[in-house]
Amino acid sequence: MIRFKNVSKTYPPNVIGVEGISLHVKPGEFVSIVGKSGTGKSTLAKLLFAEERPTRGTIEIGGWDITHIHDRDIPLLRRQIGVVFQDFKLLPKKTVYENVAFALQVAGERPHRIREVVPKVLEIVNLENKLDRYPNQLSGGEQQRVAIGRALVHSPKILIADEPTGNLDTLNSREIMDLLSKINEFGTTIALVTHDRDMVNRLRRRVITLEDGKVVSDVEEGRYKL
Amino acid sequence: MFVSSYRVTKFAFQNFWRNFWLSIITVSMLLLTLVTINILLVLNVITDRAIELVEDRIEVSVYFYDYTEDTTVSAAVAYLRGLGQVRDVETVSADEAYTQFVTRHANDEEIMASLEELEENPFGPSLIVKAHRAEDFTQIIDALDNPQFRDSIREKDFSDYQNIVERIRSTTDRIRGFGIALAIIFLLIAILIVFNTVRIGIFIHREEIGIMRLVGASNWFIKAPFLLEMILLSLIAVGLTAIIVYPTVAFIEPQLSVYFSTESAGLVDYFTYNSLAIFGGQFLALVLVTLFSTGLAMRKYLKV
Ligand SMILES: Nc1ncnc2c1ncn2[C@@H]1O[C@H](COP(=O)(O)OP(=O)(O)O)[C@@H](O)[C@H]1O
Ligand SMILES: [Mg+2]
Repeated sequence: MIRFKNVSKTYPPNVIGVEGISLHVKPGEFVSIVGKSGTGKSTLAKLLFAEERPTRGTIEIGGWDITHIHDRDIPLLRRQIGVVFQDFKLLPKKTVYENVAFALQVAGERPHRIREVVPKVLEIVNLENKLDRYPNQLSGGEQQRVAIGRALVHSPKILIADEPTGNLDTLNSREIMDLLSKINEFGTTIALVTHDRDMVNRLRRRVITLEDGKVVSDVEEGRYKL
Repeated sequence: MFVSSYRVTKFAFQNFWRNFWLSIITVSMLLLTLVTINILLVLNVITDRAIELVEDRIEVSVYFYDYTEDTTVSAAVAYLRGLGQVRDVETVSADEAYTQFVTRHANDEEIMASLEELEENPFGPSLIVKAHRAEDFTQIIDALDNPQFRDSIREKDFSDYQNIVERIRSTTDRIRGFGIALAIIFLLIAILIVFNTVRIGIFIHREEIGIMRLVGASNWFIKAPFLLEMILLSLIAVGLTAIIVYPTVAFIEPQLSVYFSTESAGLVDYFTYNSLAIFGGQFLALVLVTLFSTGLAMRKYLKV
């Protein structure tokens, strides 16, 4: 599903983001990418959804070589990959329903399709009775669930979550992790970037550890060492 | 496509209202540019009309000696009519000249008395030659040097209208030059203001745009509202220009007619018959300019 071959990313002038990363993620996997702050976890995530291009190496997603992806093809890629961030990135002036619908609207989906998909997605993330709330009327965990719901509208093959629980307390974090697990059970490949030791340890899934932009360990059913 | 066109339109209108004052400033600048251009058009029409009027009145009078044969005169007429520059030739026979003179001076006893002393008609035949354009007169005068009738001509008389026409031209040319310079300056300012409006629009919507990107909005969907908003502003500017131009022109036309001593200076007619070309053309040109400027701003601030 995801294949990195000797991928490096150097930011100008010569800040190393990641260096010589090679890895292969199979469909349906749930990988956690861990490491200290500034070790290139977000860079790795950005390379996946083509927010950044690799300086060297090749990246393939679902058999699609996105190493030199053309600008006009990026929207197509993004409709096949869901992304979630620490800061939720919701539109404050839109309701829960509108925030989720927005992702379909800007992709030019038809209204009847939007009316069909949005409630389904909101049911998955357990917000079906908070449709008309605005983000500031929701808890952090709920806001993150809206963001996850929005990431699911195109039924993506891959969901990338960059520190999704970074702003949440333990209880809310667990809720989000459970939701991600549930989504993974439906068959979506998940790449979770985190430095939350407990969450990773509870998961008991594959863990890739980065240090100074390099993969220093990659173990099935791993634990967060460091 | 249809569905997203509706949304893009909605977004464009939202942009317009959210930056209401910016929209007002942008439209005002576009309006100022267009009004200047239309003033230039009015000036053009008035100049043409004024020159036409002057040229209409220009004529060369050619006086023959009283002994000149009719055949010589008709030869001259035929010759002049053959010239491309000549619009019309009118013949005044010796008898007609006499009658005209008498009617004109009927009340002047002294003149009438001296006229009676002469036994014969002292007047010779004459021609009144009209040209198409003021510049043509020198050529017509030169042409009258033709040996065939040169010696029969007593006098050639014409007022220096070319000078007048040139004065009108040089005055209006100067005003026009100033107007064009002004229009260009306004246009440049308008381009900068459009650029800035789009820049601020992008800035205000940066969060929304960032999210659009993340969820896979097409570039067209992100850019189109800005382009559409500028088309909308251009349309408003052209509409307001038309609303300003027509009443103004209708108001000044009667005033001008006094000077032109004709029924109308043709301004309203000009703007009515050419309305599509004038305002449609201005709209298209404005859209091109604003879209160009929007494109620049998007290229700089909307990194896709
Ligand atoms: N846009 C950028 N421009 C320059 N340097 C960057 C940029 N993004 C990240 N970096 C640098 O790349 C390195 C890895 O950053 P990042 O991938 O954000 O790490 P992490 O997510 O693990 O904290 C850091 O040294 C960071 O300063
Ligand atoms: Mg990070």
